[in-house]
Amino acid sequence: MESATVSVGHGHAEHHGPPEANQSSRIDRQTLGILLFIVSEVMLFGAFFASYFFLRVVVDPASWPPEPYELPVAVAGMNTAILVSSSFTIHYALESIRRGNRTGLKLGLVATWLLGATFLFIQINEYVHIGFSARDLSFGSIFYSLTGLHGAHVFVGLMLLSFATIRAFRGHFGPAEKDHLGVEVPGIYWHFVDIMWLVVYVTVYIL
Amino acid sequence: MKLNEAAVFRWVVIVGIAAAAVIAATLLIRPLVGALLGLALVIAGCVYGYRWIEQKWRELGSKKLRS
Repeated sequence: MESATVSVGHGHAEHHGPPEANQSSRIDRQTLGILLFIVSEVMLFGAFFASYFFLRVVVDPASWPPEPYELPVAVAGMNTAILVSSSFTIHYALESIRRGNRTGLKLGLVATWLLGATFLFIQINEYVHIGFSARDLSFGSIFYSLTGLHGAHVFVGLMLLSFATIRAFRGHFGPAEKDHLGVEVPGIYWHFVDIMWLVVYVTVYIL
Repeated sequence: MKLNEAAVFRWVVIVGIAAAAVIAATLLIRPLVGALLGLALVIAGCVYGYRWIEQKWRELGSKKLRS
């Protein structure tokens, strides 16, 4: 398709391609998009939590987790601390770029990525050593479903962070609000993943 | 306050403190107490969250009218 040319001002700058879409929303489209996506994700997790509580409360087993299964509460607690601290590092990265500190942005993004990868590695290691599989009773199924669903979200978050980190090292982001949306949007998603893990940890491992 | 990453980060801190309270109640008192506290906090969080989102939309609406 032939691209349109729009003259700006006295014709010194030219814009190739279709004109900018009219923004009728009260919020910028990237932030609105991620917020709507998060709302849909909350509903997805809600369905899994409904299954969990149905199995735990309505089916009413003699004990939860059923004998002889045990959950590694301490290891998961340490993993929780790792993931929560990654929210602080991504926040640091964004505060840095808001002040124009590119080194802080890179440092924060790399630290967040490493903490997220460590969380995922520990979770996979937990699966290897936990002593039951998804086939072992409804307990095993719902345990792997909930933690696995969350693990998949961490994996997606790591992919988004990878793109943001590569772009940061290429000097793509700036202090202006519209110039660091590529970190802001993965940051919001990462916070959501952290919040969901706190809920999963308290529900599955503690209560 | 804008609807951005910093606003969502506050929610991480709020949920983190709430989760710590539930863990403490479960481990120090009884699991039932922890569960009830968790339920109460979820309900309070939903009410607070609803008001927070309402306020955000009002702020965004008035900002649009000014511009």
